[in-house]
Amino acid sequence: MLLKVEDVTKRFGGLVAVDSVSFEIKEGEAFGIVGPNGSGKTTLYNMISGVYQPDSGRIIFDGRDITDLPAHARAPLGIGRTFQIPRPFPSATVRENVAVGAMFGRAQADVKEAMEISDYYIELVGLSEQANKAAGTLTPLEKRLMELARALAMKPRLLLLDEVMAGMNPKDIGNIIELLQKVRQEEKIAVVAMVEHLMHAITKFAERVMVMHQGRKLLEGPTMEVLNDERVIEVYLGKKIREGAEGAEGHRT
Amino acid sequence: MRGVHTLLIIYAILLIVGLTVPGMWQPVAFLMFYVALGQAFNIFLGLTGYVDFGYVAFLALGSYGMAIAMDSLYQTGLGAAILPIGLLLAALMSIMLSLAVGAVALRLRGAYFAIATIGVNEGFRYLIEGARLWGGSEGIIITGAMRKIFGREMANFISTMVADVLVFGIGLLAALTTYVIIHKRMGYALMAIREDEDAARVMGINVTKYKIMAFITSAFFAGLIGASAWTLKMTYVFPSDVFLITYTVEAIVIVMLGGAGTLLGPVVGGITYGLLKYYLSVILPGFQLLILAPLLVAIVVAFPEGIVGYLKERVRGTRFEGYIL
Ligand SMILES: Nc1ncnc2c1ncn2[C@@H]1O[C@H](COP(=O)(O)OP(=O)(O)O)[C@@H](O)[C@H]1O
Ligand SMILES: [Mg+2]
Repeated sequence: MLLKVEDVTKRFGGLVAVDSVSFEIKEGEAFGIVGPNGSGKTTLYNMISGVYQPDSGRIIFDGRDITDLPAHARAPLGIGRTFQIPRPFPSATVRENVAVGAMFGRAQADVKEAMEISDYYIELVGLSEQANKAAGTLTPLEKRLMELARALAMKPRLLLLDEVMAGMNPKDIGNIIELLQKVRQEEKIAVVAMVEHLMHAITKFAERVMVMHQGRKLLEGPTMEVLNDERVIEVYLGKKIREGAEGAEGHRT
Repeated sequence: MRGVHTLLIIYAILLIVGLTVPGMWQPVAFLMFYVALGQAFNIFLGLTGYVDFGYVAFLALGSYGMAIAMDSLYQTGLGAAILPIGLLLAALMSIMLSLAVGAVALRLRGAYFAIATIGVNEGFRYLIEGARLWGGSEGIIITGAMRKIFGREMANFISTMVADVLVFGIGLLAALTTYVIIHKRMGYALMAIREDEDAARVMGINVTKYKIMAFITSAFFAGLIGASAWTLKMTYVFPSDVFLITYTVEAIVIVMLGGAGTLLGPVVGGITYGLLKYYLSVILPGFQLLILAPLLVAIVVAFPEGIVGYLKERVRGTRFEGYIL
């Protein structure tokens, strides 16, 4: 098992953002986390990547308890992520941004090597023309792709994508999913994609999904099975169904 | 490497003017102090984006290091070897302080770090004066010791020439160090920290470690500058002279004026600041600060990236790209 999240809880003041959640991710797996806004998905990522310390519970990565490790010590073990609101190093070029991932992630590359790795992943995500532009000048969509390249350049074993497909058109989403399947197979990366609304994307991408609701794990299992479960439909569409009419199309995609 | 060429050319011009034009050595040395101060401070402020309001304490401690070496460590037979020993002690004392301050304060974020450092300078000064450390408020006077060690003529030569040449060399060494750091993994780590500290952490960067490394390097050069530009040149150290926040403010102004984090910024900033200060004190003695302050604010507002930062943007894509770094 690559990642074991055991009974993890995180509170912000009185609010329980993540409430005793447990799940596991296998090596090289395509895993999806879905849940409405505020259900605790990003907080979960923050605890796995070391941005926040959980109030209780444990996080085991590759057989090692990393619960108390600082973020900078987790990346070299092979945990890479993107941010829901992209966080490029704005005045550095795209090439330099991605190279930073290669230097300090699991790859631990020297400067020259990092530039080569950077060029490879920039090409892979289709940003070659922007390579020498300051990352801060990219469009929101390009920033997402840049973050994906930067996370891949870390040579992670676990890649955590936070709403990476939000705001993309179906064609772009198709390309991204294809790209993710490619790196997953070629580099044996377990990819976790988390989405709020893009259900059809997650059905195409994930083998298994976990549904979050109000900080708790609602359900976990094979993608189609879980997404067709009544409780899940209730969480996403409950209100709309009760309101009647356009119900079934209620999930914005 | 082209950026280094520009740097070396500016240094060469300064040196030639100072050595060949009669009466110009002292004005050039005056400018070189500001250039060196900027170079040393740039390694911290420029590369990390953190402001240290207690920075002058590193120069002050370096200044004491040299004075203590001359005053108490000298043994007959050491001769001129006391100079490198003094520099070493100066560097050591500054590094020790930077380790102590850094280990505590560099765990804090930008503004909190800045606030935490405000007390360092004054605190150290009151410690020295209150505890009568190193001569207390009377300081250490090494005029006699230097004459005894080097002889009257040589001692004179050291304070009028060698001290300035040292400052010149230390500034150059600090600039070359900046160049090397920028192009290594450390430079990329510091860039990431400057731009987005949280994202840097998640990318695997041990931010505290790299900030402390930059802090120590910067303090090392500051200590050497204090030892040379103050102790060797003046042949005394008084706490009221060396723990002056004015120097910290000047260092910040020079780095911001020239362009924080750039290689040429401190040279351009140091020379610009030095010339402004010098000529204003000649033209309008007594009013220089009244004019200097708004003038500097105006420049920094007009060029938020500093003069070199602005030029660097302008030459991007032209054949001058790379010469301005
Ligand atoms: N740093 C924080 N401080 C306070 N509350 C937070 C913080 N981060 C997240 N929360 C709260 O925790 C809950 C879960 O948020 P989040 O994990 O971002 O959900 P999701 O990513 O599923 O939309 C929300 O109610 C959010 O407001
Ligand atoms: Mg979120």
